[in-house]
Amino acid sequence: MNGTIRLARAELRKLFTTRALPVSFAIAIVLAVGSVIVDAMVAGKNGAAPLGSDASVYQMLKFGAIPCVVLLILGILSAGGEFRHRTIVPFLLATPHRARVFAVKVAVIAVLGALFGALVFGLGEITIVATLAAHGIHHLPPGVGRLYLGTVISSACFGMIGVALGVLIRNTIGAIVAAIAWTLFVEQVILAAVVPHIEKWLPTAAAIGLTNAPGPDPSRALSPVTAGLVLTGYAIALLVAASRTTMRRDVA
Amino acid sequence: MSSAISFQNLTKRYGSVLAVDDLSFDVEPGQVTGFLGPNGSGKTTTLRILLGLAVPAAGTATIGGLAYHQLPDPVRQVGAALDSNTFHPGRSAAQHLRIIATATGLPRRRVDEVLGLVGLADVAGRRVGGFSLGMRQRLSLAGALLGDPGVLVFDEPLNGLDPDGIRWLRGLLRELAAQGRTVFVSSHLLSEVAQTVDDVVVLSRGRLRAHTTLSALVARTSVVRVRTPEASRLLDVLASAGYQVRLVDGSTVEARSATADAVGMAAAAAGVTVLELSRQDEDLETLFFDLVNTSQQNSQNQEIAA
Repeated sequence: MNGTIRLARAELRKLFTTRALPVSFAIAIVLAVGSVIVDAMVAGKNGAAPLGSDASVYQMLKFGAIPCVVLLILGILSAGGEFRHRTIVPFLLATPHRARVFAVKVAVIAVLGALFGALVFGLGEITIVATLAAHGIHHLPPGVGRLYLGTVISSACFGMIGVALGVLIRNTIGAIVAAIAWTLFVEQVILAAVVPHIEKWLPTAAAIGLTNAPGPDPSRALSPVTAGLVLTGYAIALLVAASRTTMRRDVA
Repeated sequence: MSSAISFQNLTKRYGSVLAVDDLSFDVEPGQVTGFLGPNGSGKTTTLRILLGLAVPAAGTATIGGLAYHQLPDPVRQVGAALDSNTFHPGRSAAQHLRIIATATGLPRRRVDEVLGLVGLADVAGRRVGGFSLGMRQRLSLAGALLGDPGVLVFDEPLNGLDPDGIRWLRGLLRELAAQGRTVFVSSHLLSEVAQTVDDVVVLSRGRLRAHTTLSALVARTSVVRVRTPEASRLLDVLASAGYQVRLVDGSTVEARSATADAVGMAAAAAGVTVLELSRQDEDLETLFFDLVNTSQQNSQNQEIAA
């Protein structure tokens, strides 16, 4: 147990001794809070729902994807960066139990993802509450707690998916480009148009089902519980593949 | 401190390429063992298998009788510096070592100690991205020494070091061996490690070419040339006396690992006329290249025959 705790502390030390983590977290917070402010500014204009309505608050809460994407990239950098900079070599020389090293890295990123998802959502929610209060509005719609939990789960899952991709695709930049292209373009544009009936079962759509309030056509999205199970399933499947690769592959 | 390294019938393939071919030898504690061979001879692959970074196709590589992943406390048992390019450029030297120290439960003061030992104390807080090759090499060595291990494995540790650094490292290797540690150092140049090593293991095309002491290898550089009208008879006489001999031309015989006195006495005892007798010692590097090239030539001949 002591060994596992030491490994976890070492993983945290790795994360906090490079610029990737503070820079990406800062960007995510600025984007999340900024999107809330922009949504608040345009509320009630050009056909947008009026400020304080349930629809307006849900629109302002649509920043849940931001911590997910950040954790996806951070997970890739955390695992892929070890191979890119070959820091995996001295680390495995000191702690050659690959399965434990991999499991601890996944756990640390998942916990960090959950905490960061909670932090970003909390900051966004505080901004919404403050904005509404400034306009004399003092209530939030009932689904906010579910979206909070969904953002926490999605961020943790996307962090784990990032670690898996970082191991499976050794080219870190390639892995980041592929992951972003998949989440923003392949899944939401191409597959949504070509195979709309299965699109909701894909990972990004599942995350949207967790982090966003249901749209006007509920049949196009999974229920939150199903979406959570589907996203967790993708994370586990990719982690199993990455774990097998980690155990078998020679470290160059 | 009684740890020793052992390779038994070690074999490694990369596709159709046989990188390590049925390699067997031991490395003893209390001395510096040079692991020599040209680039691509399989040295690094052998070391990676020893350190659990690559899996052999057959055979074993053990430290104190155990595979690397079976060692109960690897960082305190084995220190290895395989490459000077295994650092995140954004981390400082101290941060890099602290990560390893944290993961293995080593005290923080040990990081400061090894950075001082390798001469990097003044740049401990600087990002590794700005380090020279020599500084990175020193940081690799610091990582190897972090757990104060009994077995040390260095892959081409002199690469990138300036003359002062080379002299310092040679002294360090000798000191570590004198403390009873097992020191296993690879190099592609015998001359680079000749001042440091006690034992020499020569590898070529993945196969063991020689495993001997440096003094025995030095003895093999002694070459005596004899000009005689009875060259073929002298060749037989010296060969039967146990010398490694060859006919240079129709009237000259060359005996390796021999003294002029011994060759002269053997010729006189056999009644062979000697016109001229002289010592023409080779340098170590020439002998090393002979060992390696003979192996490569034999391999090529075998491939042609096959």
